[in-house]
Amino acid sequence: MTTGNLRPPRLRPGALNLAEFLAQPAPPHCGALAVFAGTVRNQHDERTVTGIRYHAYAPLAEKRLAEIEEEGARRYGVRLAVAHAVGELKVGEISVVVVARAGHRGEAFAACRWAIDAIKRSVPIWKEERYADGAAEFLEGNPLRPVSEP
Amino acid sequence: MQHNGSMKVHVECCGAAARWCGAEELSLDLADDATVETLLERLSALHPELARRRDRLAVAAGETVVPRDHKLTANERLALIPPVSGG
Repeated sequence: MTTGNLRPPRLRPGALNLAEFLAQPAPPHCGALAVFAGTVRNQHDERTVTGIRYHAYAPLAEKRLAEIEEEGARRYGVRLAVAHAVGELKVGEISVVVVARAGHRGEAFAACRWAIDAIKRSVPIWKEERYADGAAEFLEGNPLRPVSEP
Repeated sequence: MQHNGSMKVHVECCGAAARWCGAEELSLDLADDATVETLLERLSALHPELARRRDRLAVAAGETVVPRDHKLTANERLALIPPVSGG
């Protein structure tokens, strides 16, 4: 559920700062806060990864991230905030954040999991991995799907 | 304004599609009754690496994913959306 024109974009240049998302005030009825943060790993398919460049088609990516927040709120009765990095990230840096605030932990955990799965299947973002041998490759990925899938 | 029943469309090649097509941005002349399918046929004929992934591509116009039978208009801007790998 968006909060109007003052809301910052969900696509952010560079690594994400988790503290920023946790600093947002909790609705008073919420007793649970669940977080997922994806970070850049140093290995993929037995290759040493030194970093990832994230590419996005911004017009649709922003729209889909907003839809994920709205759909997750509708499905689970939670407040969701999602964000994804674009540009160059180093190993260990945070590339994606999902924060779910809910009355209780069950729906907070469920919404968190649903949201990251939805981001992976429905948002036009691509990983270009950088390897220790100097090579760089886009991951093969999966065809774009709608936000509203089970 | 159309001449000889043709029009120009502009394509943003997102992610790996830029490598497959050899450029991040392309402009093509198509028949004025062309659809997204027509565009993909033309691009596939020009770029074999794209042709191999054609069935796994989505195409967007602005914020909207458009179907293969979407009728193109002159100077329309479209984006090729390869299989995604975010998150």
